[in-house]
Amino acid sequence: MKAADGTAAFWQRVRRLRSTRAGWIRVACYASSIALLLGVWQALGRSFGVLFVPFTTTMSQLWEMLQGGPLVPALGVSAKLYGVTLAIDIVVGVTVGLVLARMKLIAAAFEPYVYVLYATPTISLVPFISVMFGFEFWSRVLVAVVISIFPILLGTLEGARSIPRQHLDVAAIFGSNERQIWRDVILPYVAPYAMTGIKQSIALAMVGTLVAEFFLNPDGVAAVLLQGTTIIDTASVLAVTIFVAAMAVALVGIGELIERYLVRWRRTAVG
Amino acid sequence: MAAHGGRIGPSAARLPRWWERALTPERIAPVVAGAFLLAVWELYVRTQLPDFVATPSGIVMAIPATLAAPSFWSDTFVSLGAIVQGVAIGTLAGILVGVAMGRVREVDWFLSTYIRALYALPLIALVPIVIIWVGYQPAARLTIVVISAFLPVAVTTADGTRAIPKEYLDVGRMFGAKAHHVWFGIALPTALPHIVAGIELGFARGITNAIAVEVLASVRGMGMSVFEKSGQLNENASLVYVLALAIFAVGIRTLMVRSRQRLAPWYSR
Repeated sequence: MKAADGTAAFWQRVRRLRSTRAGWIRVACYASSIALLLGVWQALGRSFGVLFVPFTTTMSQLWEMLQGGPLVPALGVSAKLYGVTLAIDIVVGVTVGLVLARMKLIAAAFEPYVYVLYATPTISLVPFISVMFGFEFWSRVLVAVVISIFPILLGTLEGARSIPRQHLDVAAIFGSNERQIWRDVILPYVAPYAMTGIKQSIALAMVGTLVAEFFLNPDGVAAVLLQGTTIIDTASVLAVTIFVAAMAVALVGIGELIERYLVRWRRTAVG
Repeated sequence: MAAHGGRIGPSAARLPRWWERALTPERIAPVVAGAFLLAVWELYVRTQLPDFVATPSGIVMAIPATLAAPSFWSDTFVSLGAIVQGVAIGTLAGILVGVAMGRVREVDWFLSTYIRALYALPLIALVPIVIIWVGYQPAARLTIVVISAFLPVAVTTADGTRAIPKEYLDVGRMFGAKAHHVWFGIALPTALPHIVAGIELGFARGITNAIAVEVLASVRGMGMSVFEKSGQLNENASLVYVLALAIFAVGIRTLMVRSRQRLAPWYSR
């Protein structure tokens, strides 16, 4: 009986602590999880030989690679491909999305094919694209764009289609001309939808860049990774993978910030 | 009037025939557009590019020979088998971890750094390190597919189980629900549409990454055959494989959309 009281009291204290010290527990959880990962990584790294390297070795390897050698120019190559891809995604995706929303028949004609192309693993089309268009820069851009454009295109299309009739009617009643309707009604309404797509495309453009670099004559960051894999240079591969992961988290974070800024005035509506 | 079978007034104008209903502009347009795209492809290749480049007619002609080869069926079997198996394992693990993250804050705080970082990372970047660790063999493909499915399912399950309406929990508590009742009886069913969305994403990423592993680690399968046949200038056969992959991908996608509509008709997107 006493023991049962003891356990009950213990759990009650745990429950109370969980609510009163939530902030501290949160910090402790984050800190302990990172400490655990680094500790396990460090310990395993020492005992696994060639296949695994400790955290400290990985980081010093990354630092060394960023000082010079093939990684820095490779990052430039990949960044250029990524930037061009994302720019094309945004410009073409938003434009085509708006046009398709306005031209119902053309949209009905091509929509099934857009969805089939979207569902098809683009990576399997890489050999075909390379035979049609070669292995050069614009062929890579094409591969990366096909992989990453659809969220923007479909998001814009969905947004432009869901503009409430009343908004356009009110604008028309107040005598807006076509240009004003676009500037004051359509674009602000579509922007959050497009941004949701852009956020996904920011991440997918990285996938596209890597796929294009892996499979159309290795180049850029992917070439560095493949080179390291071939000679089982685990430290380099881990270092570059960590670096790519950090870039991905940063880029997705930036996308989320922009989206939050754009949807601030309709957050309640979005939920 | 009576001769018209009881129909009255101008609305007695005959109903549109079935072919008039079937042949609306919205129905005809995709057929026309599809024929147009195929014609442009066929003509462009025939007039501008060398013979070995795939054409729609060439692909159709290549279908019987490709399907007759036993290697097509063994490739399909190992690739799709690995994808389905990997997604199943990843989904199960993802649901368990996701429910724990969604229902217990501390678990979420402990794991979310890694899960969300890996979720943001293009998983194809993990292929090289997985090949080093697992080796140039089919297990590398399975590993990547498991990870590809685990991450989206864990994230969507966590999001779905976290956002349970408070009323559900109140009713549960009134009926004396234990923790496991709340987890698997209330939270999980509420989160089902989210989970299905996660599985859909897992399949899409799993297919892509499975192909990536096959090509980079020389593991036999459909993805490798697509690249291999193309390398042998047998473009038409290569695209028959792509067609098979596309049918699988579209089929999975349709299945997911349907099941989401069945499980939660009120849930859109």
